[in-house]
Amino acid sequence: MRERVLVAMSGGVDSSVTAALLQEQGYDVVGVTMKLHDDGSDVPDKPCCSLDATSDARRVCEQLGVPHYVLNLVDAFTRDVFDDFVSEYAAGRTPIPCVRCNTFTKFRDLVHKADAIDARWIATGHYGRLADTPHGRALLRGRDPAKDQSYFLWGMPRSVLDRLLLPVGDWTKDETRAAARRFGLRTANKPESMDICFVPHGDHARILEDALPADAPALQRGRIVTESGRVIGEHDGFARFTIGQRKGLPGGSGEPLYVTEIRPETREVIVGPRESLARDSVHAHAVNWLAPTPEAGRAVRAQVRHRSTPVPATIVHTNDGTLAVALGERVHGIAPGQSIVLYDGELVLGGGVITRAGRGSLPVLAA
Amino acid sequence: MSQSPVYLDHAATTPVRPEVLEAMLPWFSTRFGNPSSTHKLGREARVALDEARERVATALGAHADEICFTSGGTESDNFAVLGAWRAAHAHGRSTVLSTPIEHKAVLEACHQVVREGGRERFVPVDANGIADTEAFAALCDDTVAVASVMWVNNEIGVVQDLPALASRAKASGAVVHTDAVQAFGKLPIDLRTLPVDLLTISGHKLGSPKGIGALFIRRGVTLAPLLHGGSQDRGRRPGTENVPYAVGFAVACELAVADREREVAHLGALRDRLEARLLEAFPDAVIHGRGAMRAPHVCNVSIPGTDAETLLMALDLRGIQASGGSACQSGSVGHSHVLSALGVAPDVAAGAMRLSLGALSTEAGVDRAADVIVTLARKARGVVAV
Repeated sequence: MRERVLVAMSGGVDSSVTAALLQEQGYDVVGVTMKLHDDGSDVPDKPCCSLDATSDARRVCEQLGVPHYVLNLVDAFTRDVFDDFVSEYAAGRTPIPCVRCNTFTKFRDLVHKADAIDARWIATGHYGRLADTPHGRALLRGRDPAKDQSYFLWGMPRSVLDRLLLPVGDWTKDETRAAARRFGLRTANKPESMDICFVPHGDHARILEDALPADAPALQRGRIVTESGRVIGEHDGFARFTIGQRKGLPGGSGEPLYVTEIRPETREVIVGPRESLARDSVHAHAVNWLAPTPEAGRAVRAQVRHRSTPVPATIVHTNDGTLAVALGERVHGIAPGQSIVLYDGELVLGGGVITRAGRGSLPVLAA
Repeated sequence: MSQSPVYLDHAATTPVRPEVLEAMLPWFSTRFGNPSSTHKLGREARVALDEARERVATALGAHADEICFTSGGTESDNFAVLGAWRAAHAHGRSTVLSTPIEHKAVLEACHQVVREGGRERFVPVDANGIADTEAFAALCDDTVAVASVMWVNNEIGVVQDLPALASRAKASGAVVHTDAVQAFGKLPIDLRTLPVDLLTISGHKLGSPKGIGALFIRRGVTLAPLLHGGSQDRGRRPGTENVPYAVGFAVACELAVADREREVAHLGALRDRLEARLLEAFPDAVIHGRGAMRAPHVCNVSIPGTDAETLLMALDLRGIQASGGSACQSGSVGHSHVLSALGVAPDVAAGAMRLSLGALSTEAGVDRAADVIVTLARKARGVVAV
């Protein structure tokens, strides 16, 4: 009896190859495309999640001779991902909807669907790898550092690892495209999307303008203030800014200015020189572990942004779903709402959503 | 797994009947003429088209000139509602009156009326989906240009008291339309006595191809055309006529009428068998519209604790083909406006599956479907729904 695998297919090349590879390896493949948001007429065709993308996934499945379904997860996605995206920006933070989508929509809701069709496995086209360790299955970074997506995957329930297959995680993008050509998949040369699927052209402010009331504080004019309290200009909504941003700030003061803080209660955007962005510690909540919970004092590597270089760090505490980490070197531009992901070498230990980043060293208890 | 699939989606579409296919074939190839051409090939095509029109008319108790061939149910519904409203609007009537459980082709046409400056009114329906006759009467005033009431609902199969509703609307001077797509072949239809002005039927629900249907337009009723072009069908519906499909459609209509009584008895018995099996396994299952008169081919059931989208996927993987509500845009299940109008709670509506019977239905198939549904729904009730 072949083992059944539910493959989440966005219509892109990575998930298309995932389905083709698993079928070639003898799995009983069932493809699904998750409809996550209504394709309004104002959303131009996106490489991911649009009706066209659904058609591509369906045609790939037809070519492979496997069934394909569209799962309508609009309500769940709106509740778990979109609404959070809006409220986080409204609170002056910088959310990563892809993390929440992976956490809730892909690796929770999808598992329920897999259960209903007796699928032993679920698979996606993410660039991550799985490995058996003495502590059970573990998530590793993707082989290709340029494509590694493990930063976005820390939030899934650990139990999912026992059912997860990520076959393209061992490859580079070029190798994936070569495989797509070998399989003759129509998606082989499809351009890649770097945008958030529901944010056309990366213009998140437009989404907020539609989703928030017109008088929402996050979109009202406010002052741009230096760290010493001098008003140097005005902005038209703090939700348009993120920590570390330079764009949209007044120039001409000689030294480049960066957003160092957002104060929702006064609608102020605080700016300062680059060295004001330096931080020594990170606090996070909504913490999830994909490995045995590490003890205080453990030396790890911490990554606070997609594609940034992980830095040496020490765990200060892990209590009640919160986390404090002392950074071994100063990191610039840590934005609340982004994820901190902790690694042991290639292995993903877990992560959390950054609540604040501090200056000065934190006392680390001996392990 | 090796067993052949069980098709329980006849309300969505049906296979083309062999008699229909055979009748169509010459009109694709050797007899391919344009009915507007005056040469021999054209004349043959014209005669075939006229004959098809007569045969469809006869099947409905209508005159041949009252049959307008269209591309199907959606075009017929749009033509009826918009065509009648636009014609009557010129004479001061501005309202379209309908029900909230119409097919989207009617509902969206009503919304278009509003965009064009008219008004829409919807009569409430009860928990079984039956329109309230008193409320309907109260809404029938001299502003109503067109009243449109679906005879047999496509999602739950309930039958409206169309003769009574139509008479009431006629009395107020409205043009009366009914979407009879799911009624044709199931209810007796005789337009000599049925007091409607416009009636929609669709070919592919009857064993003819997708892309052909008809609108009955009673003599004396004027519609503003949707399309503008040549003089085909006296300008009502310009565009070169689809002769092969019209010929096939006529055959399908005749067969539907001839088979109707036997079909109704057969499908009704199968549906009752299916519902009895489901209710036996799940006494809390809700069969929507069961308290009203229903056409025999539709069973719309919610099994509490299950989610239709997931269940339908699992059923398909076991060879049982059914649908959620009706329109499955991009193959996904949305919320049913019909069940919502019935006051069905959203969590119950999310579990609604439409099992619809027809030409491919057998007792063995229904039994197997019931077995699989019971197995999968029992399993689903043990799994947390999203």
